[in-house]
Amino acid sequence: MKKKWVIVMLVAALAVWLTGCGKSNSGGEKSVIDGGAGEGATELSYWTFVELHGQHFETMLKKWNEANPERQIKLNVTVMPYDDMHNKLLIAVQTGEGAPDIADIELGKFPNFLAGTPQLEPLNDVVEPYKDTIVPSRLDLYSKDGTNYGLPTHVGATVAFYNTEILEEAGVDYKEIVTWDDYKKAGIQVYEKTGKFMGTADTSATWQSGMMLAQQGSDFVDDSITPQVDSEQLIKGLNILKDLQASNVISTIAGGQPDTEEAYGEYNAGNYASAMMPLWFMSRFTNYMPDLAGKIAIAPLPVIEKGMPRSLGGGGTGTVVTKTAKDVQLAKDFLAFAKLSLDANVEIWNTLGFDPVNKEVWANKEVTHNPENKFVKYFQNNPFDVLNEMQDEIMLIKSTSASPTINNILCTIALNEIFEDGKDVAEALKSAQAQIVQELK
Amino acid sequence: MIKKFLYSQKVAPYVFVLPFIAVFAIFWAYPLASSVEMSFQHTMLGQEAEWIGFDNYTKLMSDGVFLKAVTNSVVYMALTLVILIPLPMLFAVLINNKFMWGREFFKSTFFFPALTSVVVAGTIFRLMFGEMEGSLINSFLGLFGIEPVKFLKGQVTGFVALLALASWRWIGVNMLYFLSGLKSIPDEYYEAASIDGASSFQKFTMITMPLLKPTTVYVVTISIYAGLAMFIESMMLWNGNNSPKNIGLTIVGYLYRQGIEKNDLGYAAAVGIVLLLIAMIINITQLIFTGTFKKED
Amino acid sequence: MKKHLVGKTLLFVFFTIICAIILVPFYAITIGAFKPGKELVRQGLNLSFDLSVMSFDNFAFLFTGDHAYFTWFFNSLLLTVVQVVFTLLVSATVAYGFSAYEFKGKNFLFICVLLIMMVPFEILLLPLYTLTFNLGMMNSYSAIILPGIANAATIFFFRQYLRGIPKEIIAAGRVDGANEYSIYIRLILPIMKPSFAAMAILNGMNSWNNILWPFMVISDAGKYTLPIGLKTLLTPYGNNYDLLIVGSFFSILPILALFLAFQKYFIDGMTAGAVKG
Repeated sequence: MKKKWVIVMLVAALAVWLTGCGKSNSGGEKSVIDGGAGEGATELSYWTFVELHGQHFETMLKKWNEANPERQIKLNVTVMPYDDMHNKLLIAVQTGEGAPDIADIELGKFPNFLAGTPQLEPLNDVVEPYKDTIVPSRLDLYSKDGTNYGLPTHVGATVAFYNTEILEEAGVDYKEIVTWDDYKKAGIQVYEKTGKFMGTADTSATWQSGMMLAQQGSDFVDDSITPQVDSEQLIKGLNILKDLQASNVISTIAGGQPDTEEAYGEYNAGNYASAMMPLWFMSRFTNYMPDLAGKIAIAPLPVIEKGMPRSLGGGGTGTVVTKTAKDVQLAKDFLAFAKLSLDANVEIWNTLGFDPVNKEVWANKEVTHNPENKFVKYFQNNPFDVLNEMQDEIMLIKSTSASPTINNILCTIALNEIFEDGKDVAEALKSAQAQIVQELK
Repeated sequence: MIKKFLYSQKVAPYVFVLPFIAVFAIFWAYPLASSVEMSFQHTMLGQEAEWIGFDNYTKLMSDGVFLKAVTNSVVYMALTLVILIPLPMLFAVLINNKFMWGREFFKSTFFFPALTSVVVAGTIFRLMFGEMEGSLINSFLGLFGIEPVKFLKGQVTGFVALLALASWRWIGVNMLYFLSGLKSIPDEYYEAASIDGASSFQKFTMITMPLLKPTTVYVVTISIYAGLAMFIESMMLWNGNNSPKNIGLTIVGYLYRQGIEKNDLGYAAAVGIVLLLIAMIINITQLIFTGTFKKED
Repeated sequence: MKKHLVGKTLLFVFFTIICAIILVPFYAITIGAFKPGKELVRQGLNLSFDLSVMSFDNFAFLFTGDHAYFTWFFNSLLLTVVQVVFTLLVSATVAYGFSAYEFKGKNFLFICVLLIMMVPFEILLLPLYTLTFNLGMMNSYSAIILPGIANAATIFFFRQYLRGIPKEIIAAGRVDGANEYSIYIRLILPIMKPSFAAMAILNGMNSWNNILWPFMVISDAGKYTLPIGLKTLLTPYGNNYDLLIVGSFFSILPILALFLAFQKYFIDGMTAGAVKG
């Protein structure tokens, strides 16, 4: 009996205490952002899987509402788990029920939304005014038959991030690395002198595979968009990596690729001397690898033969307007303003640390070299210097309806077999190709 | 009149069980029927369904990933039975021993893990079984000079992590079931056996085990269910429904992948029907084997 | 005597070791709750008790930060309480119908109960999903509560429990002129109390921790339950460990408090029902 009272008290105390907290914590339910909008504002809903994107929209919303007093907007932001958001969004746009007005769709999932007749609004008209300043290939990613359905967030130019502390200890100058052969020589030296690996052999992401294909002007699919992962070029590319692995230059990493929390730990501890990742990886450095501040240099990727393109766009999120949006034109105009305008792109660099798609930003030294910017502070050299240097070499890996399947098979099976189990590259890719064909049947 | 009808002893039982009939019909029988129907169709949410006969099933039979999922689920279930029946039974008998100190404390502690959600438990175990040197399990192995193991990348080690998670969460629950079973065995049986000079081991095999049989059957039944239906554990441990070489993919995981992620409802429904058949076959065999049906009056 | 003491000690040591192993993850998460998320990413989840990196910052963030944790928390609390109350009442009523009466179709219906217990609910996910969708119940808690309201395992348990209650009570009630329903409400329900405690905890636990189905039907962030909310903190764009670990830690507390307070009822209840197959 006594115990019963104890628990009643406990629960009561808990309830009182929590209600108290609940009040001081009204921010918890703040999913509607008004951005200074007045009474007559239209409320639009927005789904995303990245909380930070919501914050970016909040900043842009304030500016929009100030500049457009007649067309003010309130934004209802819902952040959902990555897979869950895409699954629900796909069902919602296909059934035409329950979809938000605006949504983020990750590149890897985008083709699912373009299948059949896309239930998304074409955005060509609102893109038009910005066309000359935007990196065109980034728009192509979210287009089908010339119609654009999604606005990009960044270029994601892939670069090499070098840990100069380790390289100096081994007596290597990253600026002299041009080809994979140079990289290999440097890596052997690093391993001999420091016992550390030069880089990673990725098993759970296709950044490296894409990089190798782009350098040879190839792709995961052929010209008629048929998957061809057992192509000569991919076999050659992965064999180069495999040779690097055999010479202790690169090694698999916890998490399977640099962009995982396990890998952040490994990098932060100084166990790997380089990462080949898109530029948005900068924000991972500043957020998760504080110990490396001031030690990381950015450079173009090594290439198979001198003269090959030294970068490609990687990853991305396309923001779309659904067919069921309350006020389609308003949503489209706001979206273009929030993602393509110069203001928006400056903001994307400042808060998110992405390489923005609007090239005017790249040339604006005041913005890109702002000494107060945390990314400028963190890295040894300025990312935009590298970006400008190779701006005509940023290649594109196509995003097609087969991409999700190709990615899935490579990341769960083939790359694991090659780099973890030591299976022959050509053989692994051949069975991967067979499986992709079977799954797409 | 209506009142009298409703209050009669003939009608009352139906009123009592009506909620069950309703729930069974709406949320069980109907979905099951539509699942069977869907499994013969090519259908996506929001689009017209199309009859395709046995195509989904024939495709399943040659689908290597599906077979992998079935193997994973069945092996997982079998291993949980091997671990989660004898050990809890043994623990229950030991803890029930009159020479036991701190019985209540141990009982509660064993039960604690069941109170955590899979999301929380899975995340803890994912971090504990990380492949870095510094993560918990590897740093422990390091004490014995064992090199860090990439637990979640290998088939066997991945299952070790999965089973560790399952054991951690369910050992206490199963132990409590056995404890309650033990309570129903009269002390006189043991006293009589002692007078006859039976050893502790003999008492265990001659009295405890047979009399615990109903409990065991119950625990086995729910374990088969839980083992075959496992999905979220794997999803949390691999932080998603994709594990390297599909080592953690389960039948339900595959159903989820096809139905929700790829919106291929018909194919997913066929996966579900196969799971239903497997579950029924295993459970009915088990119940016949243990003679449970005979006793059911 | 001495032999007993040795055995006693050995037994105690044995269980202490097992308990220690069982408690390790709890210890790890408790320690983790005091460490910054970055530290976890850097070092992994381990047992090092390093005061230099430990602080109450996460707790401060949990209680004052700009996040929806307590919305999730209250949603879960609400959902759990409502679900447990409804499930118990409905299931007990059904169980009483099964145990107190002989009626046509009883055996068939009871086999249906057993069937539900044996067939994984998960195979019905998709048709249930379309059904919920067609009924316009997406995003509502009733979509979570209704399918489980006559819970097979709970019905089964209550029926076992009711077997132990003498039929004379019902007969006596009838003699006194009570109708069938007031017999159940006035005479039987009070006797069932101890079994309610056990089932309340078991169902409460399941409901509090339930994720798969709620996760599929709820997409309104304001309606997320705790497990769904915690899962949103895990994304391919970086996991929010600052909130995740401390939030996980905190989510265990209420159910732990309930368990500690009611564990006697719980264990007694399970024993009283004595699963007899």
